[in-house]
Amino acid sequence: MSISFQKVHKRFNPGLFQKKVQAVYNFSLDVHPGEVLGIVGPNGAGKSTILKILLGFIRATSGTVTIDGRSPAEADVRTKIGFLPENPYFYDYLSAEELMRFSAVTAGMPSESIKPRMDELLQTLALDHARKRKLRSYSKGMTQRAGICFALIHDPEIIILDEPMSGLDPIGRKLVVDLILTLKKQGKTILFCSHILNDVERLCDRVAIMAKGQLKTILDKENLVSQQTQIKVYVPEMSADQVQVLHTIGAEKKQEGKSTAIICQKSNLPRVMLFLSEQKLECEHLDVVSNVLEREFLRWLEGGK
Amino acid sequence: MILVRIWSVAVLTYKEGIRDRALHGIGLLALFMLLATLLATQLFGYDIGKVTVDLTLSTIGLAGLLMTFFININLIAKDIDKRTIYCVLSKPISRSQYVLGKYIGLALLITVSLTCLIAFSSVVAYLCKASYAEAYFKDFSWTCYYQACGYELLMLLLLNGFVLFYSSITSSSFLTMLFAVSTYIVGQTIEEIVVFFQKEAETIGFSSPLIQHTVETFQYILPNLSAFDIKTMASHGKLMTMSHTVFLVGYSVAYTALLLYMAILIFKRREFN
Repeated sequence: MSISFQKVHKRFNPGLFQKKVQAVYNFSLDVHPGEVLGIVGPNGAGKSTILKILLGFIRATSGTVTIDGRSPAEADVRTKIGFLPENPYFYDYLSAEELMRFSAVTAGMPSESIKPRMDELLQTLALDHARKRKLRSYSKGMTQRAGICFALIHDPEIIILDEPMSGLDPIGRKLVVDLILTLKKQGKTILFCSHILNDVERLCDRVAIMAKGQLKTILDKENLVSQQTQIKVYVPEMSADQVQVLHTIGAEKKQEGKSTAIICQKSNLPRVMLFLSEQKLECEHLDVVSNVLEREFLRWLEGGK
Repeated sequence: MILVRIWSVAVLTYKEGIRDRALHGIGLLALFMLLATLLATQLFGYDIGKVTVDLTLSTIGLAGLLMTFFININLIAKDIDKRTIYCVLSKPISRSQYVLGKYIGLALLITVSLTCLIAFSSVVAYLCKASYAEAYFKDFSWTCYYQACGYELLMLLLLNGFVLFYSSITSSSFLTMLFAVSTYIVGQTIEEIVVFFQKEAETIGFSSPLIQHTVETFQYILPNLSAFDIKTMASHGKLMTMSHTVFLVGYSVAYTALLLYMAILIFKRREFN
């Protein structure tokens, strides 16, 4: 199942005599079947608004949104969707089991398969011990995990998660990351928003960066991986001639404050090391380029192209 | 599948309501008031049967109103305030199914709670009846008693229709309560106002069958909740006619259906941001 946003605009009317707020501006994006796509952006970027439009909670001012070619306003489209809202709040006096049963029954799941699926999910997300407890007694992390169980009980084709790692402790986060990786292997289409860039980088096939209601760029796995395999070699000062030679071997110099670094692809490292020994340059230390998404994210927020 | 979805929302609403501690508090208060009836009747030297019926039915009515204003309003408002509605609407449940499911849940909650109270009040009425001479209860009739309870339930079901309608036009639980309380007050006094106008019209010689008919019709266009209050009749052992009961059931059902239809129309257009 695929998702498509075409030239979506959303303008909110905060009240009488107040200026309208443009929450989403000209947003176009296709999420392909079996793909994991992450949307990152600062607070107020319009990420959650996009998800709300997709689920039919709010309507786009203009543009079209389709799920497998159908409008999200059609309730039946949501049969194959699992959704976890940001900071989920469920019914206080219900138990996780009752909540999941509601989700399964309304999605048309056969009654005989509800119990095994419920057991499986509650065990996977370490909630089995609290399955009969009222949700009001749950911690924030437990509520979040109960929300994920609620979203996944009917084995949906499309999974939409708004800040799935929010409020989770490291163990909870690992459980959820592992679960998303399993769903990815099963070929589910996953669309999620997150502030935790490391998780997005690790889980997603593509990452959409949003700011001020606009889609700034889409980075695919190759973009991220090629940059991830870059190595930085920190050296003392280099002369202009040495920099010239450096270019011929496919590396480049970068000044980082008082430090001088040579940036090269991982495959090119032996040639750079040979260059250093020939030029009698001392290697101060090596560094693998990390947090690529974070740097890309910041670059786009600062108005980069 | 449509009915399964509506029923699922109704059960969810009912379970959430029936486990609410505030409901238990209201229930306990009502039970305490019903027990107090046993003592209160001892303060009267005559018409003990009428006092028993009046006090028990008033307690049931008060408990029903408290449930409607404090539990049921909260059950809908919380869905929108705290965004619990996302977990319902992210399922293949349409807005109309949500509204109908919510109403059935609220109706179920009121019906079950009131049935428990009616059962307890029957025990109290029976004990009162057994404690005093038969002469004090010469007008007492169980049929009239349960008919009055049924009318009270019908009125509360209609009032809950208003609660759902007001919840569809405002997100604020306070405003919903304000509108619902106002509706109740207007509904309870409308008959008196109509009678007053009719008398005034006769005094100034402006009365005609057409005007009278119009005024009578108008009192049913506005919710005539006082028509459901037959406590006095019940305490005098006077049974309402079958045609009156059928008319009121029809009136309540038609009015509630209209309110739900309007609530559905508004909910369909509403954005849950």
